[in-house]
Amino acid sequence: MPASATPDAPHSSGVEQHATGAGAAGSERIVRPRWRARLVRGFVAVVLVGHAVLLVRGYADPHKFFAFQPFNESSTWRADIVRVTADGRRVPIEEPWPGGYDWDELVRWGVLERPGTMRHAYSGLGTSLDFLDDALDWVADHTPEDDETLYLEATTEAYRNTRGPEVRVYRSELREEAR
Amino acid sequence: MSATVAEPVRGEPSLSLSDRIDDVFDRPASVRSLAVLRLALGPVVLVHLWPFLVDTLAGTTYEDHFWVRWWGFVPEVPGAVQVALVWTGAVAAVGLSLGWRTRLVAPITFVCVAGNLFLSQHHFRHNRAFLLFLLAAVALADSGRVLSLDARRRRARTGTSPGDPGDDLGTVWPLWLLRILAASVYLASGFSKLIDPDWSGGLVLWDRAVRHQHLVRERVPEPIADAVVDLVTARWVHTITSPIAVAMELFIGIAIWFGRTRLAAIWVAIFFHLSIELSASVEVFSLAAIGALVIWATPSTRDRVAVVPDATWVRRLDWLARFDVHEEPGAELRVVDRDGTVHTGGTARWLLWSRLPLVFPFVAVAHALRRVRP
Repeated sequence: MPASATPDAPHSSGVEQHATGAGAAGSERIVRPRWRARLVRGFVAVVLVGHAVLLVRGYADPHKFFAFQPFNESSTWRADIVRVTADGRRVPIEEPWPGGYDWDELVRWGVLERPGTMRHAYSGLGTSLDFLDDALDWVADHTPEDDETLYLEATTEAYRNTRGPEVRVYRSELREEAR
Repeated sequence: MSATVAEPVRGEPSLSLSDRIDDVFDRPASVRSLAVLRLALGPVVLVHLWPFLVDTLAGTTYEDHFWVRWWGFVPEVPGAVQVALVWTGAVAAVGLSLGWRTRLVAPITFVCVAGNLFLSQHHFRHNRAFLLFLLAAVALADSGRVLSLDARRRRARTGTSPGDPGDDLGTVWPLWLLRILAASVYLASGFSKLIDPDWSGGLVLWDRAVRHQHLVRERVPEPIADAVVDLVTARWVHTITSPIAVAMELFIGIAIWFGRTRLAAIWVAIFFHLSIELSASVEVFSLAAIGALVIWATPSTRDRVAVVPDATWVRRLDWLARFDVHEEPGAELRVVDRDGTVHTGGTARWLLWSRLPLVFPFVAVAHALRRVRP
């Protein structure tokens, strides 16, 4: 690192300047305060380590966030979703819903709309079913006019890369409105 | 056709790893490739934000429908914040492409796009994460030094002219960081598929093709539709093409680092992204990824000399300023390479046109065809 070269500063920053000096013979160098040079190197190291961690973590993360594993599966799934009322009835979400709610309107995301139809598992089965689980909670929490549903329940049928079916049951949290 | 060495190759003194790393951080180099990327990113960001802009115009924000917070400890962000993020981001993206107050609008664009992505987990897509990498690099580097209104304003102030030595010099560690991230995206994707027998064995692509064959039938003209559908739904086709697809990703991620294989890797990458664009819905990934290939241009400018009879088109298309262009009416095309080698005829034409980003994909194909023909 050159420390005492006279900066001939075509660069706009008042802190970071160019100078002729060390390194390859006759090459121009950027002169930074020592703290800033360390900060830049530290930042790059943190980014690279964090990126590597996310790449590896993707093998355990159903969503594979920042793991760059696109088009990873050809899996398919569908779900039967019912409202389980306080008196024990199991009402499919396709039937009238107190408050006039509609599943597709509530989620308004193609990945989760029309859950009864067999569809491609967006970004893999893990991602789709995890979002479905989250959506059950979200819908249970955003239907205040519904005073009869105790919880929502989804029974999923999934085929992982043509193999299956894998059947799972997901439930939303219990709703205060129906207690 | 001929190539003569005008002067001996000048070798640089061998540098230790530590010196090379210091060079990445401390030696100024051309930020022109990031400037070209900056030009492309404005439209890419607008395309990316468009659905969100339309929603906000209809009075809808992310919290009106299903959403999932990224971290439980983060309080719910009001929908009005999303409106501010996407509209500010869109305006900033225009400024980004124009290079207007780049040091300000580039970070703003990054923050707005990132902020919108991190409002809900269901906003995440791999192509959006890749876009964030690109925006971050453009924001961290002084990408407005050239090809920008900022540069024009600076030239008016200092009385310099375009093409002055050093006009595009800046810190390039963001470029190197972006190169590592971009290459790792190809490698991560390729490696994950390589170790998955369902993918590398062709099952995944075959099953997708079978289930989406109606789309092929819709897009292909009637007389050949049946034959094409039969082909793309044949299991054996995917047994062959899937390993090739994996190999392409791995090849791009590795070969793009080496001068001898870089042009081939870039051409394969263009083919790869175009084929994905035709066969899948990947939002802005193809645009962003093909645009991002400019980062692999060597960060030095005008270090080759091109003597041409008419410089009009070369100057217009030489966005990366690879050539110090001299116009000599009636002269034979001549290119002096970095090592002093003088090229004329077909070799000079190839060297010249293959370094111009817009024509490279076509020139590369023509060159490859010429080489395989007897």
